Amino acid sequence: MSKALPYQDIQTIYFAIAAVVLPFAAFVINFLFLGKSKLSGWVSTLAILVSSVLAAIIFTRVWNVQQIHVKQIWFRIGDSYLYTGILLNNLSVLMLGLVSVIALPVHIYSTAYMKDDAGYSRYFQYLSFFCFSMLALVVMDNLILLYAFWELVGFSSYLLIGFWFDRANAVQANKKAFIINRIGDIGLLTAIIILFNQYQTFDIERLFKEGGLIASSTIKNGLWISADIQTPVIWQYIACIGIFLGVAAKSAQFPLHTWLPDAMEGPTSVSALIHAATMVAAGVFLLGRVYPLFNPAELTTLAVIGCFTAFMAATIALTQNDLKRILAYSTISQLGYMVMAMGIGAYATSLFHLVTHAFFKCLLFLSAGIVIHQIKHIKEDNNLDIDPQDIANMGGLRKKLPLTFIATLIGGLALIGLPLTSGYLSKEGILITTYEWAQGKGDMMLLVPLFAFFTSCLTAFYVARMLLKVFFGDLNLQFLNPEIKIHIGDGGWRYKAPLVFLALCSLFPFFSFNPFLHEETWLLYGFSAYNSKSVFDIMHIAIPVLVNGASLLIIYYAYMIYMKRSTIVLPQSGLLYRLSFNEWYIDRFYNRVVVKFVLVLSDMAFWFDRKVIDGFVNLLEKIGVFTAGIASWFDRYIVDGILHLSAVIVQAIGGFARRFQNGKVQYYLFSMLLAVIVVFILKILIWN
Amino acid sequence: MNILTLLIFTPVLFGLIILLLPSSIRASFKYIALLATLLQLGFSIWMYLNFKTGAAYAGINHEEQFQFVQKLPWISLDLGGAGKMQIEYFVGIDGISVTLLVMTSLVLVIAAIASWEITSNLKGFFALFLLLDMAVVGVFCALDFFLFYTFYELMLLPLYFLIGMWGGARREYAAIKFFLYTLFGSVFMLLVMVGLYLSVKDPVTGNHTFNMVQMMNPKNYIDGSVFSILSHQTILGMPARTVGFVVLFIAFAIKVPVVPLHTWLPDAHVEAPTPVSIILAGILLKIGGYGIIRICSGIFPDVAYSGAYWLGLLGVISILYGAFNALAQRDLKRMIAYSSVSHMGFVLLGIASQTAEGISGAVLQMVSHGFLSTMLFFLVGVIYNRVHDRDIYNFRGLGTLMPKYTVYVMVAFFASLGLPGFSAFVAEAFSLAGAFKSHNVNGLLPYWMAVCGSVGILLSAAYFLWTLQRMFFGTVSLKGGDIWKIALTDINWRETLALLPLALIALVLGVMPSLVLGKINDSVLALVQFTQTVFHR
Repeated sequence: MSKALPYQDIQTIYFAIAAVVLPFAAFVINFLFLGKSKLSGWVSTLAILVSSVLAAIIFTRVWNVQQIHVKQIWFRIGDSYLYTGILLNNLSVLMLGLVSVIALPVHIYSTAYMKDDAGYSRYFQYLSFFCFSMLALVVMDNLILLYAFWELVGFSSYLLIGFWFDRANAVQANKKAFIINRIGDIGLLTAIIILFNQYQTFDIERLFKEGGLIASSTIKNGLWISADIQTPVIWQYIACIGIFLGVAAKSAQFPLHTWLPDAMEGPTSVSALIHAATMVAAGVFLLGRVYPLFNPAELTTLAVIGCFTAFMAATIALTQNDLKRILAYSTISQLGYMVMAMGIGAYATSLFHLVTHAFFKCLLFLSAGIVIHQIKHIKEDNNLDIDPQDIANMGGLRKKLPLTFIATLIGGLALIGLPLTSGYLSKEGILITTYEWAQGKGDMMLLVPLFAFFTSCLTAFYVARMLLKVFFGDLNLQFLNPEIKIHIGDGGWRYKAPLVFLALCSLFPFFSFNPFLHEETWLLYGFSAYNSKSVFDIMHIAIPVLVNGASLLIIYYAYMIYMKRSTIVLPQSGLLYRLSFNEWYIDRFYNRVVVKFVLVLSDMAFWFDRKVIDGFVNLLEKIGVFTAGIASWFDRYIVDGILHLSAVIVQAIGGFARRFQNGKVQYYLFSMLLAVIVVFILKILIWN
Repeated sequence: MNILTLLIFTPVLFGLIILLLPSSIRASFKYIALLATLLQLGFSIWMYLNFKTGAAYAGINHEEQFQFVQKLPWISLDLGGAGKMQIEYFVGIDGISVTLLVMTSLVLVIAAIASWEITSNLKGFFALFLLLDMAVVGVFCALDFFLFYTFYELMLLPLYFLIGMWGGARREYAAIKFFLYTLFGSVFMLLVMVGLYLSVKDPVTGNHTFNMVQMMNPKNYIDGSVFSILSHQTILGMPARTVGFVVLFIAFAIKVPVVPLHTWLPDAHVEAPTPVSIILAGILLKIGGYGIIRICSGIFPDVAYSGAYWLGLLGVISILYGAFNALAQRDLKRMIAYSSVSHMGFVLLGIASQTAEGISGAVLQMVSHGFLSTMLFFLVGVIYNRVHDRDIYNFRGLGTLMPKYTVYVMVAFFASLGLPGFSAFVAEAFSLAGAFKSHNVNGLLPYWMAVCGSVGILLSAAYFLWTLQRMFFGTVSLKGGDIWKIALTDINWRETLALLPLALIALVLGVMPSLVLGKINDSVLALVQFTQTVFHR
């Protein structure tokens, strides 16, 4: 912070640091001092309250006013320096505000929701740690730190999914979530390394600002050319693929989306904050950060994948019976919309949808939490063996849980995108831009708006189905078990206040005073630099009318099916039904093919290790032992043999010669004579 | 008195005391050993704090830039016409060794704490332990090849006995395998060392010399000698310098260990008692990496340069192969042993890149892995001591039974799999960044190696998380039933005392990698400069 910044900016920076660090402080306090205390919930809540106030102040000072960027040397490696710094621009202050404002009601709700859990304090440790990582992620100014916090939010999500670590499903789910996110992480890391190689910096502002390093590099003749490095263009594609992998993993895009539905094993309040409103939006946020990297072809690919994800997830949501799973797939579907919007150049609209979605999806999850909680009460009071999340057991809850019903209704309508809600504003924006984008791109590309439109219809259906099955008609549980007693209600203010707050934020006035025209939303003006320009024409009226007309028809159709049971019920055995119910068999494919493949590969590696490498070593050992055996045999029988033989010979000669020494004079004389004769004979024989 | 000499020989002194003391007070031996290592840690911290940085203290191939140097004539034989045999006691450190030394002394303290579990033949154990302590510290300080070799071989002897006498069921097989593997490496190293000795002349005295720093200067080589850069001698039809490099590399690669020379490691680890596993993984493997940096690329930089591709390839293979093997294990200790193979692959990849980022990443990875593998093996030891079993399938739900222990396991696992905030993340990220950058900087490694290496990060998440899920989460279910349930108590104060500093250091190094990088930067830059200019004609 050496640059001469005006006093107010320095203060803003300190505010930002405080906003990020406060949840961390809460985590540390809870971890070290409040192991079992119920106080921990309030410590965390207080921290996030102050964070959100600070975030609001920062927002007013930065939004559409200026960009503040400060950095400091973190460490030096070789001769390159790594900085740590804070970059506050429209994107980051928007996210900063969004995350803290959503986290606050979730914290309040959690103090009630988790109050009977043995791990109450642990829960708030994790939650505060998540808030810290997420808030830090959005304000970091360089890619390495962004990556670091990117992984830390994944880690806190891991902890929270597996919060009830004695449940087998929960720990399967968090392992899966972390590993799939790791696939995205290595993609992102690879992309960061490629960018570092190309531009020798991790600084987001230098890389991605207008006229920055990315903007001034070109692709020519199969080469990706920056100021002083030329790389084959394939590495630009790989960088984009890497970023996309990161986005796909965090924001649950096809083909890496399968972890999100399983992540619903965590507490529902966690699903609301992390797996609906904030963390899963980090992928879209990342796209927003690195947007200039993508060239038109890559953006088109992004749009197609986003559109496909939106469609696929919506079809799956049609047939699920688990309340949270329906919501999870709707989240995937809406994230698909956001990614698609990024792909078609509707940068601002995509972020707008991110914000509106955060509010209404958080609302939906918190309401679902209350519903599930109450069903669980019924289950425990009456010793029933049921799945409290199964919507087949529910029904008629609108009378028992009136506030929850209204909240869910508002959230549901926003999700469908009916007028007067915030969802209408952002979704129509996306649909209109998609249509305009597809103009003049050939017939194939018209499929994108078509599917986006169709997905919107599917959304209307599954939301209507969920609402009808949960809140209308009669309680199925009572129908099946007439004797059960039911004492349920909306709960205390810690349940109600968050719902009311979020419900209000899901209505149009929070974003635009004109409930029908998304163009007048204040949020969009903050990103007009990136957004594709559009001319107001008849389609801006026709498309919303068409979409909403269709939605209303479909809601009526759902009403006829589930309430009146008069219309033809779709067969529950067809190929399409099974495809939808089994989530397109994607998970099964991964388990049976990909995971199997990796395991077989690892078994093969181990087999190779034991049989081939160790086999070789053992063979060498055997050869060594065998050679030693031969040497030993040689030693014993040949070398020693010769030795022994010579000893035997010497002994024999000695024994023979000894016989001459017997002390008899005649014998000596005889020997002497013999010797003389021998010498004489030899002399005659040899010398002659 | 020279600080390095103190550092090296303090443990021997205490070892002698232990030998002289009567066995009746054997209960005090563990305190004596702990005191020795603590004293050593104190020395090394003092040394770390007083270590000067800056380009003028880079070291590598400049003898005058080494710090805490002590140089005494050791063996000096007049060989008549053949000149004088010059072997020196020459110790000194530069940026490459200083952080490894601090890491080593801390790991030895932890190993000493872990040794408290040893119950039989305490005198022998602690005497050998302290002898080993001396040898490993000596290796990092020695600058005379003969001295280096002496320490290097001196490590083998105590290790052999420590594994062979205090180890598990198949300890003799493991000890012999370990001994033969490493002996195989070092015997040939001896030949190269003699070859170098005969090739190099001390410019001042005119004698042949074992001085490693002088071996790094091409001017000191005698014309026509076997390893002279100009003479292009061949051994068995191959260029002599290449042979020299390969032989030294094999010796160190066995230590690292590099696939396919790694199979001694899982066996040795599984059979070794906890303190020995800690020393093996924490320190011994780093000696391999250190040797490759200091000796292989220091003395044969030209070959290291031209053979970088193969080094990098071996690194990538080690990363992936080790990770896949770890995934297939059901013995916890064996799994961690294979994960070491995988993590040390990053070291080799970083070294092969010969970029500042890569080598710094490699050294940081060695330091970080030193602490983390110590922690991992200590953690395995905790559970093995309690129930004498460590089969992953025999445990479930330890998180409920041993919550504090599980916290440390999670810290160690997540730190090892490269979670940001812990040391391994920065190390692995920059090893990979260096490997990727190498193509543009010096054209040594192709781009794809870094990309393949990053898959190792993914696989490490797979095997660590699988183990966590399988062993620590879920409802409690143990093979040994209620007996185990009683035996599996949470960690005690002694174990906390060993684990807490390790966890904190992993965290501190992750947040402030400058604690290591600040000390090594100048040496790394000098090394990169050196390998790319000297010896190239």
